[in-house]
Amino acid sequence: MTGDSAVRKKILLTCILFLFWVIFTATLALYDLVLGAVSSALVAVLTVALLGRALDPRITPMVLLRLPVFMVRLIWEIVKANYDVAKIILNPRLPIDPRIVEYRTYLPDDLPRTVFSDSITLTPGTVTVELTGDMLNVHCLCPYHQEGLAGLERLVAWLFGVKKEGPARGAQETAFAAEGGAGSLTAGRPERGGEV
Amino acid sequence: MAKDIVAGALCCVGTFFFLLGTTGLLRMPDVFTRLHPSTKCDTLGACSIIIGMAVHSGWSWELPKLVIIACFLLLSSATCGHAIGRSALRRDIPYWRKKTGEVEGGDGS
Repeated sequence: MTGDSAVRKKILLTCILFLFWVIFTATLALYDLVLGAVSSALVAVLTVALLGRALDPRITPMVLLRLPVFMVRLIWEIVKANYDVAKIILNPRLPIDPRIVEYRTYLPDDLPRTVFSDSITLTPGTVTVELTGDMLNVHCLCPYHQEGLAGLERLVAWLFGVKKEGPARGAQETAFAAEGGAGSLTAGRPERGGEV
Repeated sequence: MAKDIVAGALCCVGTFFFLLGTTGLLRMPDVFTRLHPSTKCDTLGACSIIIGMAVHSGWSWELPKLVIIACFLLLSSATCGHAIGRSALRRDIPYWRKKTGEVEGGDGS
C-alpha cells in the first residue's frame, strides 16, 4: 500500500464515519460536529494503524456515489419481481416449476460477488443457495426467473466499474437438478457461453 | 393531512405484502420455495412500511435513520435467506419438482 492511497483511505473512512456520526447524533451544533470530526479521524487513523486496511479496496468514492442510483435501480427490479411472484402466489393453481441453476459470474472479487448474490436473494423468485468461487447456485421459482440474473449482474458490474471479459458466463441447469430426468429442459435453451 | 393519508396508504401496502408473503409461505411445498415469499415480505413489505414512516416523519432526523434501518434490514434478510438455503442444500434436503409433483431425492444418493 503506498502512502498516498493509505491517506486517501483514511480520509474516505473518516467521511463515512462522520456521516454516521451526524445521522446518529441528529444535531448540527458546532460542538458536536467538531467532536465527531475529531473522533472519526482518530478512529480512522487507529483502524488503519492496527488492521493495516480500512475498507475493502473495492470501496471507492465512485462506488459510494453510484450506490444510491444502484439502490434505486435494484429496488425497481425488486418491485417488478415482487409483482410477478405475487401473481404466482395468488394463482389458485400455484404455477411454480422450481429448479436450481448454476450461474458462472464474471465479477472478480469477494465484495462484488457478495453484492451480486445478495441482490439475487433480495429479488423474489431467485435465491442464491451456494456461492463458491465464481459459481453461484441459484434456486429459481420459475424457469424464466433466471433470465433476470444477467441484468442484475450488469447492474453490479456497473456499480463497481467492472468490465466484462471473456464469454465464460451463463446459466445452466446443474447435474444435481437434471438427475430428476430433466435433461430435456436444458436442451431447449440456447447456450450463451463458449464453454461446455 | 395529505401526509397522513400517504403514510397510511404505504403502511397498508406493506401490510398487504406481508399478508401475501405469509400466504405464499403457507402454500409453497418445500423449504427452498418458501424462501421466495419470505424475501418478498422483507423487501417490499417492510420497505413500504419504512417509507410510510419516513413520509410521516417528514424532513427530520428520523429520515436518514429510517434509511439506514432499511439498508440493514435488506442486508440481514438477504444474508438470512442465503444461509437457510445453503444449509438446506448442504444437508441434501430434497427439493420439490414440478414433474412428479412430489418431493424427490436430494443428491440422488
